[in-house]
Amino acid sequence: MKRYLILILITVSLFAQDYSFDIPGTEKKTLEWSGNLDGKYSVTQMRTESPFYQLQFPASLSDYLSQYKMELYLNADYRTRDMGFHLKTHSSYYNDSNAGFDLFEAYGNYNLSFNTNICLGKQMFNWGKGYAFNPVGFVNPFKDPENPELAQAGLLSMSFETIKSFQNNWLKTVALTGIVIPPNETINERYGEIDNTEFAFKGYGLIWDTDMDVMAYFNKNGLSKYGADFSLNLKENIEIHGESAFFIDDTISHFANGQLTKSVKDGKSWLFGMRYLNKWNTTIVAEYYHNDFGWSDSDWDSYLNVVDMAVSNNMQPSSMPSMGMTSMQNYLYLKVTQPEPFDMVYFSPSIYAIYNLEDKSAIIGAPISYSPVNNFSVTFWPTIMIGNEDSEFGSKQIKSKFDLWVKYYF
Amino acid sequence: MTKISLRKMMILGVTFAFPIILFGQNANELLKQIDENLMPEAYESYRKLINKEPDGTAKEFVFYTVKKDNDKVAMLYIEPASDRGRATLRLDENMWMYIPNVGRPIRITSMQSVVGGVFNNSDIMHLDYGAEYNADILSEDDKIYVLNLKANNRTVAYDHLKMWVLKDGLTIDKIECYSATDILLKTLEFKAMKDFGNGLVRPSVIETYSPLYKGYRSVMIYASITPRKLPDEVFTLNYLSRLEELR
Repeated sequence: MKRYLILILITVSLFAQDYSFDIPGTEKKTLEWSGNLDGKYSVTQMRTESPFYQLQFPASLSDYLSQYKMELYLNADYRTRDMGFHLKTHSSYYNDSNAGFDLFEAYGNYNLSFNTNICLGKQMFNWGKGYAFNPVGFVNPFKDPENPELAQAGLLSMSFETIKSFQNNWLKTVALTGIVIPPNETINERYGEIDNTEFAFKGYGLIWDTDMDVMAYFNKNGLSKYGADFSLNLKENIEIHGESAFFIDDTISHFANGQLTKSVKDGKSWLFGMRYLNKWNTTIVAEYYHNDFGWSDSDWDSYLNVVDMAVSNNMQPSSMPSMGMTSMQNYLYLKVTQPEPFDMVYFSPSIYAIYNLEDKSAIIGAPISYSPVNNFSVTFWPTIMIGNEDSEFGSKQIKSKFDLWVKYYF
Repeated sequence: MTKISLRKMMILGVTFAFPIILFGQNANELLKQIDENLMPEAYESYRKLINKEPDGTAKEFVFYTVKKDNDKVAMLYIEPASDRGRATLRLDENMWMYIPNVGRPIRITSMQSVVGGVFNNSDIMHLDYGAEYNADILSEDDKIYVLNLKANNRTVAYDHLKMWVLKDGLTIDKIECYSATDILLKTLEFKAMKDFGNGLVRPSVIETYSPLYKGYRSVMIYASITPRKLPDEVFTLNYLSRLEELR
C-alpha cells in the first residue's frame, strides 16, 4: 500500500505543472529602450565584365570580395497616457575610418483624445498594401523589395490623425490623416521657402470587410499624386490587395540622344497581389507591379552605353546618375515561405524572385533563418542575379552574394 | 387526396421541425452562456503562450490583450524582445498585424499563425464562439454536454467544432476542430480552473495539439483577466501602434 502511495505521489509530482508566471511590465516604465545588434558577413562574387563593376572598381581585383559590418538599431520610447516621444537610430560600423549614424525617427505625439492625435518630428510613414512595392507610397521611404521589413528613415513632418468607429455591417472604421512636409530644398541648409511646403492626405475606411484608402499629395510646382488601394480576405487563407496611383506633372528621367534628360508628364503606376496559405503551412506572396515612370528597354540600353563611355573615359562613379533596384516598368514578385520544413524546428527557409518582365532578368534569393532561442537569430542568405549581359540584373556588378547575418535583440 | 397529403405533410413538418428549431435555439442560448462564463464582454488580460517543439525545447511569448463586444480583439506583444511592439487586431473575421519596422498593419488570415506553433491567429485572437458558430446539442449525460458548432460563414477558421462542456459551471472541457472534409485539425484542452476575480472562474490554461503537427504542443496560460471597457476607436488599425499606452 505504501509503495502504491509513493508511486501515486511521484506520478502526481511528475505531471503537476506550475502555470503561474510574472507579468512583465506591470510596474509601468515610462522610458523603454530596445533594439538589435546585427553582425553581417558577406562574400560577393563580382561580375568583372559588368560596366558598373569597371566604373566602381577600376583596379583589377579578386572575383570574390568580402565585407564585414556591424549595425546597431537603438530605440527609445517615452510614453505617458497622453503623450510620447519616440527615437529610432541606426549606426553602422565597417572599420574605424568608416562608421555612420542615422536618425531614423525622432518624433513626439500628443493624444488630443482616444481617437485623435498629432505628431511632430521625423516619423516614418508606410502607405499602401503591397509587400514588395508601393505605388501609392507618396510619403514612404525607399523600400528594398528584397527585404521590405528592414527599418527605414522617416520624414520630417507634422501630422494629424483622427479615427471614428461605427456600429454597422458595411462601414466599421473611418480614419483621416493629414501630413505637412516642410520644404525639401533649403537655403544655407537651414531655411526653406514656405511656398515649397508639401501636403499629403489619406482617408481610410473599413468598408464591407475591405480595407480601402484614398490618398493625395500636392506641392507648389503643380505636382500632384492621387492614389487608392484595397486589401481583403477572400477566404480564411487567401488575401488579395491592389494599389493604383496617378501622377500629374511628375518629373521623369529618360535618355534622349545619349543624354539623361528630365521631362514633366502625367503617368500611372499600379500593383496587384495576393497572399495564400496552403494546408502545409506554406505562405505564397505574389505581386505584379507596373510603373509608367520606370525606364523602358531602350532607356536601359542608352544608360548602359553611357556607363560604357564613362568607363572608357575613366570618369568617376559619382558623375553618373545612379539607378536603384527595380527602376524599370514591369516586375513580378514571388515569395514562398515554409516554416519548419521536414520537422526542422526553428528553421524558416524562403525563396523569392523579382523578375523584370521587360528584359527577362531576375534576382533570386533564398534566405534561411534559424532562431534556436528567443531574441537571437542567424540568417544565411544566398542571392543570385541572372539575365543577359545587357539586362537590368544581368548587368549588375554583383553576380551572386552570400550573407551570414546574426541578430541579437534586446 | 392531394390536399389531405399536403395538410398531413405540413402538420408532420411543423411537429418535427419545431423541436429541432427549439433545440437549436437552446443550444445557441447554452453557447451564449458558455461564452459569458469564459470571458467578460469587455476585458484586458495578460497571457503567456508556450510553443513546445518535438525536441523538447520551447519558445515563450507574453501578450497584453484587450477585447470588446463579440467582434473586437487587439493584442500587443510584450515578450520576447525580438517581437516587442508587434500588435494584432481582429474585427469580426478581419485580421491585421502591425510590425514596428514596417510601420503599417498588414492583413493576415485566420489560418496563419503569427507566432508559429499549433495555435493559429483565430485561436490566439479568439472571439465569442457564439459570434462565429451555430450550435446543436449532439449528446449529453449527467456531467457533460457535447455540442456541434457549425461555422456561420466561410472565413471562420474551422468548418465545425465538437465541444465538450462541463454542466457544473458550464465551462469548456475540450474542443475538437474539424475541416469541411471532417478532418481533425487540432484539439484544445481547457484545464487549471482559476478564480480571476469579479466573479470569473474559468480554466486558466488551454493546451493544444494536432495530428498535422506531430510532436508539437502549444499552451496558453492566462495570468489575469480584468473587466475594462475601452472606446471602439482602440480597435482600429490606426491605434495598433499606440496599444502600449493602454497598459
